Amino acid sequence: MSTLETRHTDVAPDHDRLSFGRVMRSEFIKITSLRSTVGLLLAIVALGMGTSVILGLTIKDAGLPSAASVGFMLDQVTIGTVLFGQLIAGVLGVLVISAEYSSGTIQTTLIAVPSRLAVLFAKAIVLFLSVAAAASVALFGSWAVTYPMLAAYGLEIGLTEPGVVLALVGGAVYVGFAAVLGLGIGTLLRAVAAGVATVISVILLLPIILSVIPASDVVRSIHLLSMSKAGDALTNTADGTAFVDLADGYVSPAAGLLIAAVWALAFLVIGAVRLRKKDA
Amino acid sequence: MITAEALVKRYGTKVAVDSIDFSVRPGQVTGFLGPNGAGKSTTMRMIVGLDRPTAGRVEVNGRPYREHRAPLREVGVLLDAKAAHAGRSAYKHLLSIAATHGIGAKRVREVIGLAGLDSVAGKRVGGFSLGMGQRLGIATALLGDPATIILDEPVNGLDPEGVRWVRTLMRSLAAEGRTVLLSSHLMSEMAQTADRLIVIGRGRILADDAIGDVISGATRSTTRVRTRETERLMATIAAPGVVVSLLADGAIEITGLTAEQVAVAASAAGIVLHEVASVSGSLEEAYIALTAGEVEYRSSNIVQEGAVR
Repeated sequence: MSTLETRHTDVAPDHDRLSFGRVMRSEFIKITSLRSTVGLLLAIVALGMGTSVILGLTIKDAGLPSAASVGFMLDQVTIGTVLFGQLIAGVLGVLVISAEYSSGTIQTTLIAVPSRLAVLFAKAIVLFLSVAAAASVALFGSWAVTYPMLAAYGLEIGLTEPGVVLALVGGAVYVGFAAVLGLGIGTLLRAVAAGVATVISVILLLPIILSVIPASDVVRSIHLLSMSKAGDALTNTADGTAFVDLADGYVSPAAGLLIAAVWALAFLVIGAVRLRKKDA
Repeated sequence: MITAEALVKRYGTKVAVDSIDFSVRPGQVTGFLGPNGAGKSTTMRMIVGLDRPTAGRVEVNGRPYREHRAPLREVGVLLDAKAAHAGRSAYKHLLSIAATHGIGAKRVREVIGLAGLDSVAGKRVGGFSLGMGQRLGIATALLGDPATIILDEPVNGLDPEGVRWVRTLMRSLAAEGRTVLLSSHLMSEMAQTADRLIVIGRGRILADDAIGDVISGATRSTTRVRTRETERLMATIAAPGVVVSLLADGAIEITGLTAEQVAVAASAAGIVLHEVASVSGSLEEAYIALTAGEVEYRSSNIVQEGAVR
């Protein structure tokens, strides 16, 4: 063992220090170097586009609308990515943190980056961007593959129609927020199974439970402000009237964006508090 | 350099680390010894900021670990072999850690080579043996070329070649002027590797000294003598405070006189000695003696607590 072998040769000491960008790069290497996380990202694309193809193929049996409309096209294109994508993204969000706890990697991570909030926020940003990118591929891909199927019935809608691109991007952003929601829950609970169960409950079960309870104004309001309702709102076009209309049950895309962001960031903050306060 | 001042860690009512002070100096290997649950791992976790001290402070190279701008360059740590995701390759695992400090792929390959992991670097960590996991952990600790190295049980699961590699590595890192803190339950290994020892039991420091002084302080050294005139020698050296016992192989063991004193006395009496040797205690004896006292302390403490209730 010579002295030289353990010495650093290529970089001057001043250059290798922590920075937030480098922590994000580290998180990007982590998310792209596991079969499970890459698989879930690919599943968003596959299930999103697969659902759209199936809907496109069965469009005639479902009953054709009388004329082409942006709303009808968006339903065909976004439902798979938003419905399945939000769950996959939530599970992925839980996984990127809770798998660190179950494998013990969290120790190594926090020794390299003692600032815990930097770790969590770097994870959140990398996760959001990766998931939103996968969802964008799924959504624009879905639009592209269903375009000829809709065109066969004269129902095709181009990307240049007002609100279309915004709705597709909105859908991708929504799925990204679902992943951040999962990350917050995973950070809070630290366990894979409990985290997955909780994220599914928040996204999917809450609206179902609310629909079973006799509809009062309070229940309707909660329903409108739920995570999954925000997903519906983000993937539709604005009708130009209200921001949110409780009486009508209407949530505008802008309000949907706000609601999804609040859900995701609220859980992220709760997770951050736990991460900062507790021993690793 | 690691410095702890009045360091305390309490979990609920259980005191894991009970106001300890110590310093680990550069240029030597410091062994960290103690029974399971003595507070070794907790102390190491507090040094690198994984656990927050309940009271007191611990600093690395002059400031708390969290305040360093390039922590991996300050301290290299192995706390848990295989603290890596089973599904990630060893190379990507190291690369992800290196990336946080902008350390390049070249250095990652260097430490992989150093740890002897070249042939398995692309394999997923899940298939690693404990020994390979230890090598990966040591490679991780060396990534930032740190001034201080902390290794918790690094030789667990290593083959003899690996054990020897760790020993040589620790010695050479200390020789370069780095601070090396090493915990192990393998006393013979510790005796060969460490210059200084910190012995901890029930969260308190039982000994903190050069390894030779720890051993001589906790064990008695004896003089071993062989002669044909055993009985005459025993009569010659008999004195208060001198204890002589006959060993099974015919030699005698003398406590209370040095080898020199025995030789002088024998010569004056005209007794021929065939063998005279000083036998000092082993690290294992010293460790058992030090920590056995700690077990007694614990049971009397429990009795006291009972009496109060």
